[in-house]
Amino acid sequence: MMKNILLPILAAFAIPVSVLAISAEDVVRKLEKNTVIKTAWTDGCLLIHDRFGTKKTTFISYSRGADTMLIEFTSVEEEGMKILRTSNEIYLFYPDAEELIRMQGAALKESVLGSDMSYEDMTGDKSLLTSYRATLEGIEEVDGAACYKVNLEAKSSDVPYYREIMWIDKELFIYRQIHKFSRSGKLLKEISINNIRQVSGKNIPFHMVLKDTLKRNSSTEFFINDIKINLHLDPDIFSLEELTW
Amino acid sequence: MKLATIAARNIMRNKRRSILSITAIAMATMSIVFLFSFLEGMKNDLACNLQTYYTGEIRVRNNNYGKYEYLTPLHLRIEAYEDVLKIIERNNSVKTLSPRIRFPAGIYRNGEIYRALGMGVDFQREKSYQDIESRIIKGRLPETGKKETLLGADLAREIGVTTGDKITILATTMRRGSNAVTLRITGIASFPVESFNKKYLLIPLDRVQKLLRMDGSVTEIIMKLKKGSSSMVSEQLNTALRAAGREELEIKSWKKIPSSYSFIETASSMYNFIALFFFILASSVIINTTMMVIHERRREIGTIGAMGMTGGEIIRLFFIETVFLSTAGSLIGVILGIGVTVPLSITGIHFGKAMEGFSMEISNSIYPALNLKSTALVFVYSVCMASLATLLPSIKAARVKPVEALRNE
Repeated sequence: MMKNILLPILAAFAIPVSVLAISAEDVVRKLEKNTVIKTAWTDGCLLIHDRFGTKKTTFISYSRGADTMLIEFTSVEEEGMKILRTSNEIYLFYPDAEELIRMQGAALKESVLGSDMSYEDMTGDKSLLTSYRATLEGIEEVDGAACYKVNLEAKSSDVPYYREIMWIDKELFIYRQIHKFSRSGKLLKEISINNIRQVSGKNIPFHMVLKDTLKRNSSTEFFINDIKINLHLDPDIFSLEELTW
Repeated sequence: MKLATIAARNIMRNKRRSILSITAIAMATMSIVFLFSFLEGMKNDLACNLQTYYTGEIRVRNNNYGKYEYLTPLHLRIEAYEDVLKIIERNNSVKTLSPRIRFPAGIYRNGEIYRALGMGVDFQREKSYQDIESRIIKGRLPETGKKETLLGADLAREIGVTTGDKITILATTMRRGSNAVTLRITGIASFPVESFNKKYLLIPLDRVQKLLRMDGSVTEIIMKLKKGSSSMVSEQLNTALRAAGREELEIKSWKKIPSSYSFIETASSMYNFIALFFFILASSVIINTTMMVIHERRREIGTIGAMGMTGGEIIRLFFIETVFLSTAGSLIGVILGIGVTVPLSITGIHFGKAMEGFSMEISNSIYPALNLKSTALVFVYSVCMASLATLLPSIKAARVKPVEALRNE
């Protein structure tokens, strides 16, 4: 009888015990190692849902490491527009504008093409562990996959979100879900990942849903149609000079 | 002897007292005449500014635009707007019209983004709609088809630009995309409305349509009507547009559009109460002096009572006396009020920086407008209020018994 009562209790405690086998820092390091790709070419699209309907925006992006990326929009509405992210800076190029627009300060809080993503969400070249204090809060299931639940709390105020909770796939070491909070504890953004596929040995999410909880009836879906990784990219494509051509 | 003659003699007998009463009424009347003229001027100015810069006398928009106005729903637009213009222009009451696109814009300058409001306009039409050329303090109007802009003077000062400089405008397109264009500043304008001066930049309509990717569309068409036009023009336009299959459009008279004008209209009735308060204050001087007179003239009241004047006649005597005083006071007050208002209606009252931060669409200079109807009303009102205010002491005077009055020293 006593054995019957204790078994579920022991089982419940078994999860934290197993969690202790790996530290939060190790989980985050493994995640970063796994998600950072040397170089990539991506053909994708955004589906932006809001109260007025759904808008589709297509793009091609080039990326190098975790902090350099060039996005070229190919849909008619945004044709010719480019976003260049270098290190911690974001530049916008528009065909009819004679100068590059450098996003900084309050402008970074603005939405990218009316989506649920802000320019600020595209910044941040440091490791999560540099900016956040990580703690492991156990294991939870997300979409049927066991995930480490990692709580990240900001060490300083120079990060867009004071607190983040990440659900990191225990096997694949990619995140399945992220919740981002303000300092007051208000949930600001929700990200969930679906359709993970292997490409050249890397686990790539082909579908991501981002929700800005401050916007009503709004969500943004990112789809990857095609991706090539670890290919040769001319370093000049990430230069400001090249951007204006 | 007639009561009126006795009343006139009484007035002349104590000139100092009479002058005091007349002055009190005159000052109150003058203040009210000026206050009403100032308010009229303010209403005219507000109506003119609202009609010129915001609502027109009649505004045409997509009937769902207002519901989501706070989101600037550019997709809820007037498509094929030139067809709509043709239908509107067929109405003989329409004097001039202006198709416009209003949109929030970011002005990128030296790494900073300044918040502003863009307005796409047809500058040729604006010449007749708002005499825009008279507003230019530097440079010239932008030309259709060119990447040019006209800035409000305060906005230009805030971002530190002048004619010949270039600025890049960032905006959200009709389908909620993003776009930007670099424009050359060809002119700086000084608009009468503070908020317009501080926030607006005017760009050729075709350039804005390209920037916001809304070819052939505008967000609104506003119009001014010929003087004396029928109040049925909105209904006539509505019928014409419905007949042309443009059911998606909403036609609204400016008085039905919520604006600060309705606040001023409400305020007008409050000013009537303020006027009443002024008269009560002035009347208190008359009541006071009449009561003093009655006290001083108790022997006289006793004598005329003993000589056979009835209580009713004594009331009428004092009433006529105050009617004379208030008529004289009101007349002088009205003349003084007109004398103050007329020169100011030409020169205007300049508030300058005092209007800074004032959210209403009121100009920095207000030109008081004399309204003959309200001035005549103020005159009648002054006479009646001041005369009625003396009824109470007059009744009191009539109640004085001749024997008591004669005995009293």
